[in-house]
Amino acid sequence: MRKDLARLIAMAFSAAALLIVSSTLAFGQDGQEKHEPPGVNPAGGGVPMVSLQHLRATSFGPAPRTANGKPDLSGIWSPANHLGDLSTGLKPGEKILIQPWALKLSEERQTAAGRRSDTKANCLPDGVPRQDPFPWKIVQTPNLIVFLLEGNVHSYRQIFTDGSDHPKEDLEPAWYGDSRGHWEGDTLVVDTIGFNDKTWLDGLGRPHTEKLHVIERFKRPDSGHLDFEVTIDDPGAYAAPFTVDAHSTLLVNTELMEYWCIENGAQDVSHIVGE
Amino acid sequence: MKAKLGFSGAAIGLVMALLPVFPALAHHAFGLQYDPSKSTTLKGIVTKIEWTNPHAHFYVDVKDENGNVTNWNMELASPNALRRLGWTREILKVGDEVAVFGAPAKDGTKMANARTVTLADGRKMVAGLAEKDSEQ
Repeated sequence: MRKDLARLIAMAFSAAALLIVSSTLAFGQDGQEKHEPPGVNPAGGGVPMVSLQHLRATSFGPAPRTANGKPDLSGIWSPANHLGDLSTGLKPGEKILIQPWALKLSEERQTAAGRRSDTKANCLPDGVPRQDPFPWKIVQTPNLIVFLLEGNVHSYRQIFTDGSDHPKEDLEPAWYGDSRGHWEGDTLVVDTIGFNDKTWLDGLGRPHTEKLHVIERFKRPDSGHLDFEVTIDDPGAYAAPFTVDAHSTLLVNTELMEYWCIENGAQDVSHIVGE
Repeated sequence: MKAKLGFSGAAIGLVMALLPVFPALAHHAFGLQYDPSKSTTLKGIVTKIEWTNPHAHFYVDVKDENGNVTNWNMELASPNALRRLGWTREILKVGDEVAVFGAPAKDGTKMANARTVTLADGRKMVAGLAEKDSEQ
């Protein structure tokens, strides 16, 4: 009897919690969520994602432009959809032709033991194009565009738009690689090479090698949306390049905050034991 | 008893061994550590607050029907996410009476992933979802 009552109370609280979450998610809908259906949490992320729902811009104007006439991509953006599992954002007709060794590694990484090797879980950078369920900010200047990442590692990417090319030699393999950008009309094209092979391309642990070459094409169709295509070209792990569509929404009434994954590492021991 | 102590020693040794290798592995592992299907409400008095990354915690003395008091460790989301859900570090104070709806730890330790917290003033705060591990 007591158990039934407890269950009833628990159910009532569950319903209440769901209501609160649903009402939070309802913010920013009004048909504007064409890219990310409400309630869908493409990158996973639980609470951090829920905490952003009510901050999504709901009224849009034309995309702003800089003094030199280029679209200004500056702003605070939501974590993009489709990057948690790259297969969810494949363009029509595209396939991920993963090599057998890479498929095997991806499957191993999805096991409880395999997740231990996730750079994200160990407070190391995500690399490209993987993201975290935290906002990111674009700061655009004529010769340099900076992506500031709130988490999982409070870090940044630099995209040089000064007309320079990748260094011709002695490119040190890096977590975020070497990014050079140029404009094709209103599209910012970012070309990145020089990666190490430590990061996962997405949450399913799709791997890559140091041969990874990423091409991102960013567009701001209106003030509130950032649409981008990510082409993954890694002959070391995939039989052919593939392209994923991703979308972010402008976040308003918020700023980037600090998030330090590594702080208080000791508290996580209990989780490890719990695991 | 002796055997039990021996096991504890081994467990501590294991923890010490893992500590430098996986400094912050598990804040991504709500789904591994907690069981949302057993979510329940715990009422009690706040005894400590840790407003830290990667996840904030607070502790609650919960009195059972026999008057026995147990101190529960309640895990929240990260401070940045909590701020955006309307939390501040002052929202909970030692001595506050709160009701926590949360998912208890699978291993029976007195820990829970707080999902909603009803504050002393009646406000109900979203604190977590205890969903499966993904890209948290």
